[in-house]
Amino acid sequence: MNKVEYILYFVLVFILQLVLSDYVHPGPWVYLCLIPLLILHIPLSRSPHVVMLAAFGLGLGLDILSDGVPGLNAFAAVLAAAPRKFFYRLLVNADRQDKTEVPRIRETGLVKYLKYLSAITAIYLAAYIAVDCISFRPAGFILLKFLASWAASTALALLLTLPIQNRS
Amino acid sequence: MKSRYGLLSSLTAIVLFIVLETLSIVLVVKGGVVQQFKVLGAVRSVESWFWARTGKITYYFNYKSENDRLSAENLQLRQQLSRYAAAQAELDSVVRFVEPPFTYIGATVIRNSVDRQHNYLILDRGAKEGVEPGMGVVTARGVVGIVSAVSRHYAYVLSLLNTEQSVSAKLAGSGSFGPLTWPGTEPDKAVLQEIPVHIQAAPGDTVYTSGYSTIYPPDIPIGSVAGSKISQGSSQELTVRLFEDFRSLHSVYIVANNHRQELEELHE
Repeated sequence: MNKVEYILYFVLVFILQLVLSDYVHPGPWVYLCLIPLLILHIPLSRSPHVVMLAAFGLGLGLDILSDGVPGLNAFAAVLAAAPRKFFYRLLVNADRQDKTEVPRIRETGLVKYLKYLSAITAIYLAAYIAVDCISFRPAGFILLKFLASWAASTALALLLTLPIQNRS
Repeated sequence: MKSRYGLLSSLTAIVLFIVLETLSIVLVVKGGVVQQFKVLGAVRSVESWFWARTGKITYYFNYKSENDRLSAENLQLRQQLSRYAAAQAELDSVVRFVEPPFTYIGATVIRNSVDRQHNYLILDRGAKEGVEPGMGVVTARGVVGIVSAVSRHYAYVLSLLNTEQSVSAKLAGSGSFGPLTWPGTEPDKAVLQEIPVHIQAAPGDTVYTSGYSTIYPPDIPIGSVAGSKISQGSSQELTVRLFEDFRSLHSVYIVANNHRQELEELHE
């Protein structure tokens, strides 16, 4: 995947996220988010500062352009971006040999990749749903929303990862 | 040297993390949709223009049901008008003309959300047409929301489907009133709170606006009672099935209370 394709992929996934936020309404129980997928696609060689700033920009951009509460996605995105490398080493590459820029299923294996993707997505959604719903929604609702959103977002992100898996 | 650089890098990363998270939380707490609308007025103007056009395409496909609904509403209003005209003729000889307390501005919904915690609408009427923040928005089938911010051509409305909104509502018959709020789950159900336990509310009883605020006129039907439960031992919470279908909102009325300033001055 060259630089232009990489940027194009980023832009397309972000536009898809905007469309999902604005026009796809699966109900109050599910929040579909693709920002964790974009966070995962920031090259591993980038410093945590760059990753957090990029995540903040993506989250705030989504908040503004999709009429969300400003700062809500930005908060969740930074929280998911900060421990990204820790989770990569914990779940994907335990020997700390970061040979790859962007993890791919063919290098990591589906199970490890899925663990990594779902961990980052879980952190993102936990932060987002907690700030959005806490104090005025019952705990059962919050838990169900988290689980449904987690499953749906991880599945969708995985689906969107597949087209670029075979590109070098 | 390398370890010192690493330590410095980690420290700055932690500081950056704290700064970004604090900034996000400040935005969440202070922000809210209203400020977003105000601060990004220019962006909103462009987006509103776009939504107005895409909304027309969507509306085209809903013409029939919308026409049917408007025809029924028109008929009902004409019947009311003829009754009032007859009554007016009788009263004219004894009562001087009184300015009506409420006037209405017709508007079209060009943007609407129903599946968030803080839903909103954008209407194609703004400051140019005399719309001001604080005005109510209604239809013949219920309360829609409150105008929160206006640009020259558009109004931003906090929907009734907003967990922070409440409307003063009363039960038909008993006249018992309380705040009607949206619990945030289903777009067709709201909750009428603080109704005394001795009040008997049967399923199907109509709930109206109470008129105890300067925002909405009294006696606008909002919904019907669908169930009840005791809350904190001393009052009832009534589940209200809303008459208005928020998913298909198109034509609404912005309500201007002509006595609002006077009432607010008295209240102060």
